[in-house]
Order: sequence, then structure tokens, then C-alpha cells
Amino acid sequence: MNLAYSILSGGLPGYILVALLLFVIGLGAVLVRRSILVQFMGVELMLNAANVALLAFARFRGGDVQGTVFYLFIIAVAACEAAVGLALVVGLFRHRRTTDTDRADALKL
Amino acid sequence: MQTFAWLIPVLPLLGSAFHGLVGRRAGKAAVTAVALGTMLASLVLSAVLFAAVAAAPERRIDLPYFDWMAVGSLRVPFGLVFDSLSSVMALVVTGIGTLIHLYSVGYMWEEEGYARYFCYLNLFVFFMLTLVLGSSLPLLFVGWEGVGLCSYLLIGYYFDTEVASAAGLKAFLFNRVGDLGMTMGMLALFAAFGTLTVGEILVRAGHLGVEAGFGVLTFATLMMFVGATGKSAQIPLYLWLPDAMAGPTPVSALIHAATMVTAGIYLICRLAPLFLLTPITLTTVAWVGGATALFAATIGLFQRDIKKVLAYSTVSQLGYMFLGLGSAGFAAGFLHLFTHAWFKALLFLGAGSVIHGMHHQQDLFRMGGLKARMPVTFWTMLIATLCIMGFPGTSGFFSKDEILYLAFQKSPGLYAMGLLGAACTAIYMWRLMALAFWGEPRDHHAFEHASESPATMTVPLALLAVGALLAGLLGLPKIWGGSFAIEGWLEPALNFGRTAAAPAAEPGGSGLAWGLMALSTTVALASGYLGWRIYRRGPAAEEAFAGRRPALYRALANKWYVDEAVEACILGPARWTGNCLWKAFDVILIDGIGVNLPGALTRVGGDLTAQVQTGRVRNYALGMAVGAVLLLWIFLK
Amino acid sequence: MFLCFALITLTGAVALTFQRNLVVAGLCLVLSFMGVAGLFLLLANPVAAALQIIVYSGAIVVLLLFVIMLLAEHQEEPAQRRRPLQRWGSVLVLLALAAGALRLVARSHVLRSLDSGPLPPAMNLDTLGAALFNDHLLAFEGVGLLLLAAMVGAVALVKRDL
Repeated sequence: MNLAYSILSGGLPGYILVALLLFVIGLGAVLVRRSILVQFMGVELMLNAANVALLAFARFRGGDVQGTVFYLFIIAVAACEAAVGLALVVGLFRHRRTTDTDRADALKL
Repeated sequence: MQTFAWLIPVLPLLGSAFHGLVGRRAGKAAVTAVALGTMLASLVLSAVLFAAVAAAPERRIDLPYFDWMAVGSLRVPFGLVFDSLSSVMALVVTGIGTLIHLYSVGYMWEEEGYARYFCYLNLFVFFMLTLVLGSSLPLLFVGWEGVGLCSYLLIGYYFDTEVASAAGLKAFLFNRVGDLGMTMGMLALFAAFGTLTVGEILVRAGHLGVEAGFGVLTFATLMMFVGATGKSAQIPLYLWLPDAMAGPTPVSALIHAATMVTAGIYLICRLAPLFLLTPITLTTVAWVGGATALFAATIGLFQRDIKKVLAYSTVSQLGYMFLGLGSAGFAAGFLHLFTHAWFKALLFLGAGSVIHGMHHQQDLFRMGGLKARMPVTFWTMLIATLCIMGFPGTSGFFSKDEILYLAFQKSPGLYAMGLLGAACTAIYMWRLMALAFWGEPRDHHAFEHASESPATMTVPLALLAVGALLAGLLGLPKIWGGSFAIEGWLEPALNFGRTAAAPAAEPGGSGLAWGLMALSTTVALASGYLGWRIYRRGPAAEEAFAGRRPALYRALANKWYVDEAVEACILGPARWTGNCLWKAFDVILIDGIGVNLPGALTRVGGDLTAQVQTGRVRNYALGMAVGAVLLLWIFLK
Repeated sequence: MFLCFALITLTGAVALTFQRNLVVAGLCLVLSFMGVAGLFLLLANPVAAALQIIVYSGAIVVLLLFVIMLLAEHQEEPAQRRRPLQRWGSVLVLLALAAGALRLVARSHVLRSLDSGPLPPAMNLDTLGAALFNDHLLAFEGVGLLLLAAMVGAVALVKRDL
């Protein structure tokens, strides 16, 4: 089929499909795993999925440079988020000696 | 006239306000001065108005002041009317009222709440005068309700005792039952005549003939009589009056002998032309009155409390008044009201004097021999006893005899009831006198300390005795050479508005009159002597009788168990129903299902929904993801 | 080529979710990032690819691995309670999303319309730098500030005594 060929040969639908599937897998890592570090990795996967989609569209819309600029900013924000988030992980571990998010459930009725 | 006539009721009202607001701080002397001052001023003004009425055309002065209610087709003016009936009644209220105020000064001097007493007493006089002088039925009703209120306040004067509070409440509740009848009567009269001003009603009814059968007018007058029953303690609404003796004795004298309880008779006299048109109601009135007269007299035979004897005596005498009214003898009934006011007030005040002298001892079985110790009280009470039993020549004799004569003409059965009641009256009155004043003292300790009461108490007694003797002159019958003056005096009021011929009463002839008079006098004298003979040495004979016929004695001494019957048949079931309704309806239905159930549901619902908040991030992320899936599904469909 | 890099990316991601050992999981993450870098290269964006490798897998993952090493246990702890609702609910949601993604890509007209057309030249640093410092200067400076704030914040959060 036209679509299958387009996907397999690196057309836009292919990249978007990869991005979406990568996002779903990242979401799966967040939902299914209990370790906070693995959940963090899942979040990074989701961000990357967004990046892929962004740059694919930029490329197929006539090489727009704004796509790459935006991608740069996303990386910067991801870095900040990683720094602060990992600091929180360290804090959690110091307080409770665990990285299991299921055990960090004090904020409930 | 208009400028000061309204002061007659208003002055006691101002006095009452004074006592209520500043009485305690002003001191007993100031309170006494204001109380007596306002009463005397009212009395003087009433006398002036009385003279004016005597000179006025048709012996009637109408004083409308302003329009009170104007709603739709109802126009009720706020005004006073002084006719031959109301001016006499106003004099009775203010005159006897002043004497009782004077007596109260001595009687209540040591009591707690001296100012409160006079506040209520003056307020009562205000309401009574409003009742008497009001020109329209609503204004009369204001006074009617007001005297009921003051009666409640004064009966419950010793409000920290269970007995007095309960008695006050009982009086008020029985009054309310009667008031329902009064209200219905007013509504019926409005429906029939389109107005509530008494004068207007009588004018519009003037051309009507006697009503055949049961119509609107009969219903109205019957309902009015129901109201009168409540206020004037007739069967079946008399149960509150004996209990009302829990109040101070001057209160019993003023309210429950002379004035408030006579309001029912006064009402019927005011509407006399209407009652003459409704023979069914008149018959009812006569029979109820006669039955009450006899019934209450039998109960009075074996009461031990001196005030209870007088209370049942009052109920009985009121029955005589209704008997007279029902026999179309409105003047006779009103005459008995007038004479009874004098001697019954005297009897009550005398009893108060005895109680005061014996240091609050009220049991007749523990009295005795007071003739020597309390001479003024003895002689004045003796005069009153002669009046009430109908000793020839006294005021009670003339009024009672006139009533019995008219009753005989209506029905011999009524006469028989009245005669039997008169016999009982003589017996129980002489029993009271003998047990209190003759024989050996049975309570030596109290007897040693007994002495005559102070002048503030004995002077009113003396004045009342004089009045009791002289009041009879108003009713000197034709066969004795008099002119039955009271009837002539009252005639314009009793026949106001009448244009058609009044239903004529058949004259019975002087032979019948003399015969009945002789019979009743003989019966009364014999019974009185019998009573004195049996009891002059003490209650031993009564105790012996109680032993021989215990059932009858107990029945009479316990008031024929009427109170107990009411409790069992009416009050008990009412309380039981209320209890059931409370348990089933209030607790289960309203509290349980109405109030607690939504609360419980909310709590349970909240507990259930709170489960969503697990505290775990994964669960929240799943929730977000589910929501996102739903949204995407909706938007990308 | 495309297929190759795509598979590398997705395999790394899937391996990540099923890996018990944290360190191995981190390395799987690196594999995934490499795949993504390759995809960027195929998109004629060497700048992005380079940045991906340098920043993402070179800095962020390294930071991650530092923290993993800092914590004592490299195995994920055993669960306190089995939570089937969460597990199967997640599976359901993920399957729904995946199916939706497939359907979206298959049916989208936009994607098809954008597929054809002339291929633009590859991205280079000059273009990126010009755009960055001319059109997006404010955002650029803002991001610098953000980085500063994140740094300060991270230090503050882990201090024992402030």
C-alpha cells in the first residue's frame, strides 16, 4: 500500500508513527513501573518522542529553522527538569530510604 | 364627655404600666398610692358617667373614637358605649375593684412581688372595662382575651409552685376552648348581619321575628354561649375554677367571683335581643345553667378547703344566673350577677381574712371557734351567708327568687333543680360557717395566734356587707310593693334596636309567686338550720357519714371524678397520640430519614470517593491517561 | 535506514520498561537516545543529532546514572501489594492509545499531503545560530536564566542544612 511504503521508506507518516509509539512506551514506563528513576526515564522518552515529531514536521514543511530552535529549548528545559527532579529523588531517598513511589503515599485521606 | 370618658379604662392601664416598669424601684408606698389612686379616679369617672347616662335619651351614650379596622365590607370602630347595662357593670368593676385593691394592700404587704401583683391587677381592671364598655365585638373580644391573660398571670402568681403554674395554665386552656366558640359566634354574626358593632347588629336584627328551627342566628348565639361557658365556668368548662383557688385570695374575690366570670352573663345580656329570637339557645342556656347550679352545689357539700367550697359555690351561683337568662329573665339574671358580686366578694375576702388570721391554714377541719377571736370577719360573713342562702329580705333572696319564679314558668324541672341546688347551698354555707366559727378550736396552736385582721382588710369587708344588704333594693319585686326597678332601668339596653313586638312572657299571677317564694324560703331555712346543727360541734358527723356510705362520700368529695375522667378520656389519649407521633414520625421519619440519612449518605459517598485519592503518583498518572484517551476519542471520532 | 533506527529506538524503549536492574535500564535509555539521534540524521538535521548525543545521552543520562549509583539498591524493590487494577488499567490505556495512534497516522490527510514536495537543504549551525540570536534572543536569554534557577534549586534541595 501507499502508506506502508511511505512509512517504511522514511516518509512523514513513519516518523510520526515512531514518535507516537515512543510516547506510548514512555507512558507505559511511568504507569507500570514503581521505581521513581525508571519513571523518570519514561518521562525522558516522552520528551524525545515530542522532539522527533517536532523535527519531522519541521523538515517536511520546507526546512523550517524554528523547529530546531524549539528543539533546543526543549532540551534545555529537560535538563533543568532532570536536575531538579533528581535532587528531589535524592531528598526522597534520604527521608524514606526508598525509591518506590508506591510507598510515598502520605498525601491521601 | 368624649374628652374624658376614655380615661375610665386607660387610667388603670397607666397604673399597670407604672407598676410594671418602675414599681419595684419605686417602693411599696408609691405602688399602693398609684394603684388605689387610679382605681378611685376610675370609680369617680364611672359615677359621673352613670349620672350622665341616667339623664341621656334612651339612657345611652355612644362614643365612637376612630375607625379601627376597615377591610373589605367590614368596618369596626374603636369606641365606647355607655348604656344602662354597661354603666352599671362599670360601676361594679371599679367599685368592688377599688375595695379589693384596698384589701390587697393589707393581704399582700409581706409578699414577694408586691408591685407585680398590682401591675397585673390594674391590667385586669383595664381589660375588664374594655370588655364592658367596648362598642364592637372585636373590642369586647380584646377585653375578653385580656382578662383571660390576667387571670392566668394572677392565678400563677406564685409561679414557683407547681400547683399554681398548672392551675394558671389550666384556666387559660379552658378559656381558649370557649374562645373558639366566641370567635365562631362572631363570624356567624358577621355573616348574618355584615357588621360587628353591637349597636348595628341589634338594629339590623330589630325587625326579625323568632327563628323557627336551627338557623344562622341560633348557631351564632349558641356559639356565643359556648364562649360564655368557658369564661363563666359552666358545664363542661368549669374545671378550671376550683383549681384557680391557688392564686391569692383577693384575686379569687375579684376575678373569680365578681367580675371576670360574670363576663359570660354580661355578653348574653348585651346580645339579649338576639337571644330572645332563638328559643333553642335559650332553652340550652337554661338547662345547662340549672344543671351546673345543682351539680356544683353537690360537690361543695364535702370540700375541706374553705376556698374550694366558695369556688364551687361560685360555679353554682353562675349556673343560677344562666338559669335566669335562659328563662328570658335577663334583668333577673343580671340582678343576681349584681348581688352575687357583693356577697361573693365579701365571702372570699372574709375567707381570706380567716386564712390570714390562721396563718395560711385553709382546712376547715382544723379551724373552729373563731367567732370570739375575729368578730368583724364573723359578722360580715354571716351577712353574706344570709344573702347567699336567700334569707328573706336580703339581696340574694330577691334575685334568687325572681330566677326561680321565671324558671318554674319555663319548666318545673328547672325549678326542681334550682330548689335542690338552693338546699345544698344553704347546707354547705352553714357547714362552712359552723366549722370555722363555732365549736371548739381543733388546731390549738394556730388558734392561739389568731386575731382579727388589720383595718385595711376589715374596712372593705364592712363596706361590702352594707352593699350586700342594700343591693337587693334594686330588685324589690312588685308583689312586695316595689317596682322591680332593675328591669325598668335596663329595659332600653335589653331591647335596643327592637322594632317588632318582643315575645311576651305569660304572667303567672301573684298567687303562684307567693307560693313559690314560701316554698323556697322554707327549704332554704330548713336546710341552713340542718347544716348548722350537724356541724356546730365539728366534723365528727361528716366522718361518721363517710364511714356509713363511703362510695357516695368519696364521689362527692372527689368532685364526681370529672377531672379524672377528662384525664383518662381526653388528655391521656392526646398525650399517647403525641408520644406515638413523636416516636414514629419525628424520630424515625424526620430525624432518621430526613436528616440523618442524607448525612450518612454523604459521609458514605465521601468515604467511597475518597478512595480515589491514593497518594500514589502512578494512579494519578493513570487517571490522567484515561481522561486523555477519552478526550481524544471524543475529538477525533 | 529509517526502519533500522526506528527499531533501535523502540527496542531500547521497550527494554527499558521491562528491565529490573536500574543501571541496565539507564543503558537501554542511552540506546534509545542513539536511535533518536540517528533519526535526526535521517531528517537532515546533524545539529540536532549532535545536540541529542551531547546533551541528552551525554549529560542527562550521566546525571541519572550518578544518582542511581548514589542510591544503594540497584534492583527495584519488591512491591508492597499487588495492584492488578493499576496494571491492567495501564495496559488497557496503552493499547487504546497505540491503536489510536495507528489509526490517526493511517487516516490523516495532512500527513499524506505533507509527504511530497521538494526536500529542503540540511540544517547547519549557521542558520540555527542566526535564527537563535536574531529572532529568538529573548527566549534564549530566558532559558539561560532558567538553567541558572534550576541549578540553584537543585543545590538547595539537596543541602542538609540551608
